[in-house]
Amino acid sequence: MLGVYVHLPFCERKCNYCAFISFTNIQEQEENYVNHLLEEIEQSKNKYFEGKKEKIDTIYLGGGTPSIVKLENIEKILDAIKNNFYLSENNEITIECNPNSLDINKLKFYKKVGINRLSIGVQTLDDKDLKIINRLHTSEQAIDVVRQAREVGFENISVDLLIGLKNQTKENFIKQIEVLKNLGVKHFSCYMIQVENGTKLEQLYNLDKNIILNEDESVDIYEKTADFFNKSEFLRYEISNFAVKGFESKHNYKYWTGENYIGFGMAAHSYINGIRYANPKNFSQYYLGENISKEVLTKKQIIEEHIMLGFRCNNGVNIPFLNSLGYDITQNSDYKFMKEKNIIIEKNDKVYLNPNYYGVNNFIIVKLLP
Amino acid sequence: MERIKKIRNFCIVAHIDHGKSTLADRLIEKTGTLAKRDMQAQILDNMELEREKGITIKLTPTRMIYNYEGEEYELNLIDTPGHVDFTYEVSRSLAACEGAILIVDASQGVEAQTLANAYLAIDNNLEILPVINKIDLPSARPDEVKKEIEDVVGIPAMHAPCISAKDGTNIDQVLEMIVKEFPAPKGNEDARLKCLIFDSYYDNFKGAICLIRVFDGCVKVGDKIKMMQTGKVYDVTEVGIFVPNEKIVDNLKAGDVGYIAGSIKNISDVEVGDTITLANDPIEKPLPGYKKVQPVVFCGVFPVDGAKYNELKDALEKLKLNDASLDYMPEVSQALGFGFRCGFLGLLHLEIITERIEREFNLDIITTAPSVFYHVYKTNGELLEISNPSALPSPVEIEHIEEPVVKASIFTPPEYVGAIMELCQDKRGVYKDLIYIDTNRVKLNYILPLGEIVFDFFDSLKSRTKGYASFDYELAGYQKSDLVKVDILLNGEKCDALSIIVHKDKAYSRGRVLTEKLKKIIPRQLFEVPIQAAIGTKVIARETISAMRKDVLAKCYGGDITRKRKLLEKQKEGKKRMRKIGSVEIPSEAFMSILKLDDEDK
Repeated sequence: MLGVYVHLPFCERKCNYCAFISFTNIQEQEENYVNHLLEEIEQSKNKYFEGKKEKIDTIYLGGGTPSIVKLENIEKILDAIKNNFYLSENNEITIECNPNSLDINKLKFYKKVGINRLSIGVQTLDDKDLKIINRLHTSEQAIDVVRQAREVGFENISVDLLIGLKNQTKENFIKQIEVLKNLGVKHFSCYMIQVENGTKLEQLYNLDKNIILNEDESVDIYEKTADFFNKSEFLRYEISNFAVKGFESKHNYKYWTGENYIGFGMAAHSYINGIRYANPKNFSQYYLGENISKEVLTKKQIIEEHIMLGFRCNNGVNIPFLNSLGYDITQNSDYKFMKEKNIIIEKNDKVYLNPNYYGVNNFIIVKLLP
Repeated sequence: MERIKKIRNFCIVAHIDHGKSTLADRLIEKTGTLAKRDMQAQILDNMELEREKGITIKLTPTRMIYNYEGEEYELNLIDTPGHVDFTYEVSRSLAACEGAILIVDASQGVEAQTLANAYLAIDNNLEILPVINKIDLPSARPDEVKKEIEDVVGIPAMHAPCISAKDGTNIDQVLEMIVKEFPAPKGNEDARLKCLIFDSYYDNFKGAICLIRVFDGCVKVGDKIKMMQTGKVYDVTEVGIFVPNEKIVDNLKAGDVGYIAGSIKNISDVEVGDTITLANDPIEKPLPGYKKVQPVVFCGVFPVDGAKYNELKDALEKLKLNDASLDYMPEVSQALGFGFRCGFLGLLHLEIITERIEREFNLDIITTAPSVFYHVYKTNGELLEISNPSALPSPVEIEHIEEPVVKASIFTPPEYVGAIMELCQDKRGVYKDLIYIDTNRVKLNYILPLGEIVFDFFDSLKSRTKGYASFDYELAGYQKSDLVKVDILLNGEKCDALSIIVHKDKAYSRGRVLTEKLKKIIPRQLFEVPIQAAIGTKVIARETISAMRKDVLAKCYGGDITRKRKLLEKQKEGKKRMRKIGSVEIPSEAFMSILKLDDEDK
């Protein structure tokens, strides 16, 4: 089923590792932006679906920091989506939030308008590390927010954590996860911090390489984390994502399994029936509806994406599907070698990456491309 | 005046960068051979690469007309390549002349190739006219340099014109002296045909073209000519001169310089130094000085993308059309697949050819470490001549090995003598002598193994002497040496393309540096990879590449799949540049890395 993504590029402050499209101090833009969003949502039926209302089962409000957007605007956006799509009963509606921009009333409101999943940017429970990466909240605030969300009745809470922060150790990181898990968090996204081009972190890193952990230290923590989850009720269903069964992100899973999704807002991406669209990355072009990139995938690109995404998550790669596109992956010389070495696991008609090799999945994917 | 009395055949010789091509340009301009607007900068260096490197590789002669005291003189300038790799070509060009202008830089003074080229000119009985160039430079010291020429080269230089080829200063003096000082050619146009081939090139329509100097007789279209060395006979289809572009003429007579075309399909049939005569009325003895050109430096050349073998073959064939001295034969390497072993006249030649393959044919190539021809005497009495280290038999089968050596002369300011001696020592050089030319110039003579020079001798010499030393060498036969082959094993498998032949005393340090270097270049793999250097079965150095732990593309954010796919496609492209030894992937740079061993070998 189709999924809907909405991009809300507003932040109170830019985190220094962030390379996403987001802006600070432009709250006055919000009304204007939301009006364009509503218009875009309104027009999408005609643009993509021949005027028909499509069925959807996920909505994802991402950013930026959607939790700083005015509540009435959140409601307007959700209403617009509901008016233009059929929302399935069994739905997942996620909002990304920062601990400092959440409070009990906001949470209650989210609950009221149908949001049933929170993705909270906790990042770390170490206050020194929070400072280094320029976050606005403390660990105490983060814990409070999770507790409040549970009180309000949110079952499906996801937490983002960063691996590789300066003061992290295997032990204290696992302890942080345990604290959050005990509060009822059912989903963790653990990303290794990356020094992206053009970020503040890059500048700092160039001055002091020790501002984050080195690769080996980070990988140690990453492996320990995977190990910890492996022994618990959590399932690693994607390289960086761990969830209690039934709490996997339905929306994100669409990205990895080649399902359709439609994105609204600046810099948002869509994938509709074999075509990828991307909205422009600045306000003026987005408002004018200019420069929407459109890419009709070739057979080869579909193959590449299927392999790239299939080995990222527990969905795996569908061998007959690749065959139907003209690529017999089992004839790849590296495939045989990797199968022998148990790096990839063939089961029925599918092939999966052995989770022990998730950390080097890119290397493996590149070898298995046609 | 008799026709032949008004001809002057001359060349310009100089150390690299002393301004040979610039002076040639000025002469062409001053005599009105080409209007200024038609001149590309340095017209005689007609290959892009030559202009870029500021060196002349291919010779292009030019006929100029110069009016002197009411008479029109025909000046034939034969430009020469200014590099040691092309000594033989230079000597044949000189043999086509009666005079040589010896350019010396007014601030640099006499350098190694100044002397080498001057001696070549003297050997060919040429009249030498020294010219002091670059007097426009603030550091010019023309009087001292004149004295240096007299002292070092041993020819009178007090009346040498002091010019600036760049600014066009005193070019007339040079032209006048060419007419006055250089003898007119001797020869009899009624005698039997005798021409020297001093160069050749390939024309897509006319076939191989012979650049010739006529010593006796006359040649015209329709003549049946014979190459005396190869014995081949051709019908002349065209004769002409260079002004500097080709211009057809009725005939070429004794004293003239020009070209002959004769539907010669293969450039290898036109050998530089060969003598042309008439097939049905030949002379008895060819001109002296002919030598078969032999390559001295060898390396493997492989396409980075194995599928491009045929394109590489085409490229070599095309280059060979124009360059008879380029040698190549197919070679198969376990590591690098199908490619060619190529022979070159020297390192510069190697560099030029490989760069032309990449540039003109747009091919990415891997070149293996340059090597020389070794004479391997086997215990069973057999003699092997090998240039590919992987072809060296196992140590037990070898009685002894001989390697080529060169006589090297190095010119340097005295303060660098210590550093140079240390370098030569390090390169297994044998000291011959040291001559003080004047208070600020010393000439050092060494016997050095050619195999050491082909590593990075030039670069080391330059860096140790801040660029002040100049270097020239000539081959000086073979000598017995204690050489061994060092193999590189990756994950226990020998990588043939990384094998090197080195002196036994250096095997350990080379092996160590090589393994360290490879550890840095070869990316981590899924498994731990040991890198070993070994002589036979004996491991002399070992490094380990630990297994890769992290290789993940950033998270799939907001469904932007395209960006990730493009990153992957790029990485996949990069993989094509990788070679596989067993299960180990090696980037193509690894194969080049052994060329630059010595900077860290100290």
